[in-house]
Amino acid sequence: MKKRLAFFAVVLLTAAVTCRAAEVIPPKPDRYFNDYAGVVSPAVADRLNTQLAQFERDTSNQVLVVVYPKMQSNSSIEDYTRRVAQAWGVGQKDRRNGVVLFVFVDDRKMFIQVGYGLEGALPDVTAFDITERHIKPRFRVKDYDGGLTVGVDLIRKAIRGEYKGSGRTNAERGSRSNESGGTAGLLVFLFALVLFFVFVRVSRRRGGYRYSGLGGPMITGGWGGSGWSSGSSDGGGFGSFSSGGGSFGGGGAGSSW
Amino acid sequence: MSKALFGCLAIAAIIVFIALIGGCAVAGSYNRLVSLQQKVDQSWAQVQNVYQRRADLIPNLVNTVAGAANFEKSTLTEVTNARASVGRVQMTLDPNKAPTDAAKLQEFQQAQGQLSNALSRLLVVSERYPELRATENFQNLQAQLEGTENRISVERGNFNAAVQEYNTAVRTFPTNLFAGMLGFQPRPFFQSQPGAERAPTVNFNFGSPTPAPMATATP
Repeated sequence: MKKRLAFFAVVLLTAAVTCRAAEVIPPKPDRYFNDYAGVVSPAVADRLNTQLAQFERDTSNQVLVVVYPKMQSNSSIEDYTRRVAQAWGVGQKDRRNGVVLFVFVDDRKMFIQVGYGLEGALPDVTAFDITERHIKPRFRVKDYDGGLTVGVDLIRKAIRGEYKGSGRTNAERGSRSNESGGTAGLLVFLFALVLFFVFVRVSRRRGGYRYSGLGGPMITGGWGGSGWSSGSSDGGGFGSFSSGGGSFGGGGAGSSW
Repeated sequence: MSKALFGCLAIAAIIVFIALIGGCAVAGSYNRLVSLQQKVDQSWAQVQNVYQRRADLIPNLVNTVAGAANFEKSTLTEVTNARASVGRVQMTLDPNKAPTDAAKLQEFQQAQGQLSNALSRLLVVSERYPELRATENFQNLQAQLEGTENRISVERGNFNAAVQEYNTAVRTFPTNLFAGMLGFQPRPFFQSQPGAERAPTVNFNFGSPTPAPMATATP
């Protein structure tokens, strides 16, 4: 967690230095298909959302579509969207298999961000082909429903064979894996335990129970509280998106129309 | 008697405890330094990976562009030469270990920077060959090249972050007391080049005309 924070601090710092612009990283969406610009019909949005949720169950790949009115950054689209996708942690942590299709309607720009683990299945050329030759012609005639349907279809087709799913989405599984406390902490705990028994022995021999006040519950209780934090669950639900902690290395391509 | 024995035992236990904690702390930070150093080397490998990816794209790009009718030869030879000099610099580097010498890294960065410049010049010049730009092959190469430049900037950023974390660990108290003795030296990182904060200036739109200095010279 600390490392992550440091990483983001560095990224934000470099971003601040290089473009000197106010920038907004939007909050993590809670669905797979998100139309914040209101250009997609609700029926199509629901259908695509259901498809993408099912896709995660089948393949564990997390594919997100987000449609915004405007890009809230002065940075380039490939740089900005990568940082957003990284911040959201789309994809499973160990497979890094997330894909996010960003659309900025007023800017007439889109970009497919591809996670590290899918760069082989969805190389830049394929991503470029999808945006440039399949989505763009439809967006040009304001057919957002058609363009996004084709785009989602092609992305799914490209990455389908790469991984096998567990039959459930992250949201349905409830929580992510816990973080362990580290071996140093465990050692300290063991020595404290040994020490505790020594004290008990000694105090027993003395015939008093004075030191039993130092007892197990306090030590183990303290340990239990700090060491094993419960994983954060983003709330379950059918068709709702919960990130797996995937990461992005700048793969993907985009077009403007 | 039993009181004295108890006191001795308690003191001994406390001393052992403190010594063990101290030992654990040193061992712990040693292990931490090792893992941070591993991370630096790993992200360096990743940096070289993406640069290699770019180098691999170049022959294809050069062939495609050279196929276009009377394409300017000087820009092509510039790219080829820059790529060759990158190869020469790379030969002097240990592929499995991030450079410990700031001058070495500087040299590497300079060679790669030259290649970046040559490439972006090539793409600017290609602006004047619309029939070349219309071919699918060229468009695909361009998409790949852009993606590679994105990856380069990402991995350079990751490398710098890893080095920064490692350097911080090496230089802060109490690790700095023994880090040097154990052979952990601070590592150099990528400096942003003067005049080019974002290394890849290969940001080109099909629609908008780019301010090419050569293009403006022609009437």
